[in-house]
Amino acid sequence: MSAAPDLSPHLSRSNLGATLVFVALLLLFPLFSTNSFTLHMMSLVAINAMVALGLQLLFGFSGQLSIGQAAFYGIGAYTSGLLTTKLGVPFPVAFFASGLAASAASLLMVPITRLSGVYLAVSTIGFSILVHLLLKNEEWLTGGNFGLIGIPRVSLFGYTLRTPAYSYFLCVGSALVVYAALLRLERSRFGRAINAIRQNEDAARSSGIAVTLLKSQCFVIAAFVAGLAGSLYAHQVRYLGPDDFTFWKSIEFLFMVVIGGMGSLFGAVLGAAFVVLLPEWLREIGDYRMLVFGALIVAVMLFGEAGLAGFLRTMARALRSALGRTVGRGQPRDAVSDPLPSKRDSNV
Amino acid sequence: MADQIFFWDLFVGGLAIGCVYSLIALGITMIIRATGIIHFAQGEVMMLGSMSALTALWLLPSLPAVVVLLVGMLASGIISVAMEFLVYRTLRVRRIPIMNVITATVGMSILCINAARIIWGSEPLRYPDLFGTLAYTFAGVRVSPQLVWIMVMGLVIMGILQLFLKHTRTGLAMQAVAQDPDAAQLMGANLTKIITYTFAIAGMMAGAAGVMIGSLFFSFFQMGFITGIKGFIAATLGGLGSLSGAMLGGILFGLIETFAGVFISSAYKDGIGMVLLILILLFSPSGLAGLWKRRR
Repeated sequence: MSAAPDLSPHLSRSNLGATLVFVALLLLFPLFSTNSFTLHMMSLVAINAMVALGLQLLFGFSGQLSIGQAAFYGIGAYTSGLLTTKLGVPFPVAFFASGLAASAASLLMVPITRLSGVYLAVSTIGFSILVHLLLKNEEWLTGGNFGLIGIPRVSLFGYTLRTPAYSYFLCVGSALVVYAALLRLERSRFGRAINAIRQNEDAARSSGIAVTLLKSQCFVIAAFVAGLAGSLYAHQVRYLGPDDFTFWKSIEFLFMVVIGGMGSLFGAVLGAAFVVLLPEWLREIGDYRMLVFGALIVAVMLFGEAGLAGFLRTMARALRSALGRTVGRGQPRDAVSDPLPSKRDSNV
Repeated sequence: MADQIFFWDLFVGGLAIGCVYSLIALGITMIIRATGIIHFAQGEVMMLGSMSALTALWLLPSLPAVVVLLVGMLASGIISVAMEFLVYRTLRVRRIPIMNVITATVGMSILCINAARIIWGSEPLRYPDLFGTLAYTFAGVRVSPQLVWIMVMGLVIMGILQLFLKHTRTGLAMQAVAQDPDAAQLMGANLTKIITYTFAIAGMMAGAAGVMIGSLFFSFFQMGFITGIKGFIAATLGGLGSLSGAMLGGILFGLIETFAGVFISSAYKDGIGMVLLILILLFSPSGLAGLWKRRR
């Protein structure tokens, strides 16, 4: 496996500096922007990015197309909301309980990991629709259409996070932890194994990889992360309605992964920013907002599977060669159309 | 006796809505087989056909039902071909991976939904009674004319499609492309042209479905997406392999949905179909067609 393609060259050692600068900027962001709405939106980006990162592991790395992540996100959000409002459980406990609840729900999906491609996609959409209906109709538990109100702010070790900046730190911090964890996972034995599964399942099985087990583990991990993100969402917004967790939300998570770039963790973050922030930026054009959003999604697809991450990488490379540091290092267009050493097949 | 009449009422209703799902599922199956694209915008193609037919009815209120249906089919056919021509072909020519094309179809569907909201507004629009209001009576069971005509038209359209696919050169070429695009191209089928035909026919099916749903319920800018998903599920139920599978899948899904909605829980009407779908896929990972093949 030594020849396994490095799927995230943007985080190779030469880019370590860039990564550190990016993280520093993220942590210093509240110093520059005191607008609480901006901070709220950035927190939402971080929360959505967590789900997208999990889905990147599931779809980008192991090749399992799930259009059901909103179900786990919703389960996490309601678990945390219910535990804190009805039982008065402290936030850290509710936070991990959300992740566990979501992964427990994903165990239901383990049998369907043996499906592939379109069939897996349809079953996960079905699961997402089902969970939405449960959230909507089990009024005794979830409040039904009326929703769950009065979810308390996060309080950690006796301190309540009252200002938007603190909850920003919580969300961005969690997202960074998830990012780092998945990055380690990607480069571990586990990461190489699921990469092999994506490329050729039969070959992977014949080289002794426990395909079904690993695929199910990806499902559980992605659900766990989505559950954690759901918990953060519940305490960020402090109101939960079932319509935040429709299968449409699941499709949004898929957007984030595909727009950002398949197989790139940084891409998932970019994709989350794109999907969350763009409709806000387009608010000025009123009715035409979602029209333009749809058109932009189609347009971004022209970048190919490397998505926004690939586009940025290309731009960075072009900039570098324009500055003359590296002369004649590949043409930008090649990088867009063929970003990865191995040809990925999407299993669909 | 009352129970029996109730049962037959539901049965006819389920069959009619099933025919609508079948038409959408057929389009989705044809597109998947010819191009590999899961066409998430199929529901929007249906919605736009429904809206266009309604607009034609506003302009000329005395149009006969069949003409309204044809207007809807034509409009949807044109829209579907335009999508393929302007967007999917561009992506295909640039060798963009299929997952990105699929995502682009969702983008197209967002675009269509919002274009429709701007053009036709966000209120549900009622269709005038296309088929009269006089109920038909079969063996003591009174059946709404809407349902009967939807079934008849749906079956006729699917019959014509089967004849077209089996007995014309273009139809045979389309089937060949659906089975193996590369081999078909080597045998002299013009792939680009066949894919355009596929989108045209899939669009026309969706347009017919749109007029039918419009006349049953409403025309509404958001009517498409969930119906499209249901069509997709019906197609999967049928196994995505064969057109008769898609038809059966659609009708079965319509029946399950209707009966589950009444006898089990109306709130979980959509959910029961999903549970059943997941169960069927678990036992037979390639849908009902797989089950059928295993039996033989």
